[in-house]
Amino acid sequence: MIAGLGLLLGVVLGLLLQPQVPPSLQPYLPIAVVAALDAVFGALRAFLDGIFDDKVFVVSFVSNVLIAALIVYLGDKLGVGGQLSTGVIVVLGIRIFSNVAAIRRHLFHA
Amino acid sequence: MGLLNYITAHSLDEDYAHVSAQRTEGDRPVRPGSAALVVMLLFGLLVAIAGIRTAHNAPVSQTNHAELVTQIKARSAKVDARRRQIEAVQADIRTLQAQYSQATAEGQSLSTQLGRLGVRVGSVPVHGPGVRIVVDDAPNAPSARYRVQATDLQVLVNALWLSGAEAIAINGQAKSFGAEPERLTARSAIREAGSAITVDYRSLSAPYVITAIGNPNQLPARFADTRGGSTWFDLQAAFGLRFHMTSEESLTLPAAHRLSLHFATTPEKLR
Repeated sequence: MIAGLGLLLGVVLGLLLQPQVPPSLQPYLPIAVVAALDAVFGALRAFLDGIFDDKVFVVSFVSNVLIAALIVYLGDKLGVGGQLSTGVIVVLGIRIFSNVAAIRRHLFHA
Repeated sequence: MGLLNYITAHSLDEDYAHVSAQRTEGDRPVRPGSAALVVMLLFGLLVAIAGIRTAHNAPVSQTNHAELVTQIKARSAKVDARRRQIEAVQADIRTLQAQYSQATAEGQSLSTQLGRLGVRVGSVPVHGPGVRIVVDDAPNAPSARYRVQATDLQVLVNALWLSGAEAIAINGQAKSFGAEPERLTARSAIREAGSAITVDYRSLSAPYVITAIGNPNQLPARFADTRGGSTWFDLQAAFGLRFHMTSEESLTLPAAHRLSLHFATTPEKLR
């Protein structure tokens, strides 16, 4: 409940304020969103599993976003930015899918 | 496939299990707190920003597309215009070429006409068959009458013209200008100058070589029929002047040196 509230608040705030992202950070925004999505689905699954923890959620969220951005940044500097982004997206995508599958099992008992 | 299996198996952060294992039974209910609220707020913000950015970029690419379309249209219109221009210029070139070839055809006929006239006038060198006549003074000539006179040469040349010679040159031993034949034109003068004979103000001395281009088979016979021819036979017989005519297959006569006109001009009507 409180998490949904936070999400709603964040979206509304973002739409209203429309904060400007520095152009140097803009390429890492989509990958950060995907990493954050992974952390959020992981947290939801943990919540349904009954093992949710605030601190772990914060740490996993921040580290996910930072590491994903860092990997892509490093790839950009090495000239393999596109390939590394693809790798990050694939790994995160698989995680998201398996987490969502676990969540679905919890919710529908199927 | 070990890596994929690993990723699928460990899709949930192990920290959750780790922390919950450390937690003692029934310690406190697992409820998301204010930290989760802040993180979710952050997530929402991130999603909103990313969405706005993508939405911003889409119209940009749309306008880019529209811009490109208009550019393509403008450029292809320009290409069409250029193509039409090329066609027009090519048509111009064709007409100009036609005019040019016509002009050159006229020019060619003019230049051939000029060449033909030049042969007659003496402004161009000529080549062809003809006769060579060598005349000389009588050996040990006692008086001027036993030498070849300018009038004798005049008679000889006039007789050659009368016999059908088309071009005549006199090649005496030129004293001043080297041994180049002197082409005779309508304005050429053969004169007596002291003891020498001058042709167009160039002194000649015996033996005189007269080359004439014409029909080598007819020229000697027709020459003999003329009054000049009979005069020369008389000169041969009476004074012992030497006269020798040979037919030549190939003669080359140079162009005349002087052709300038000082007074005669083309009438206004014919220009």
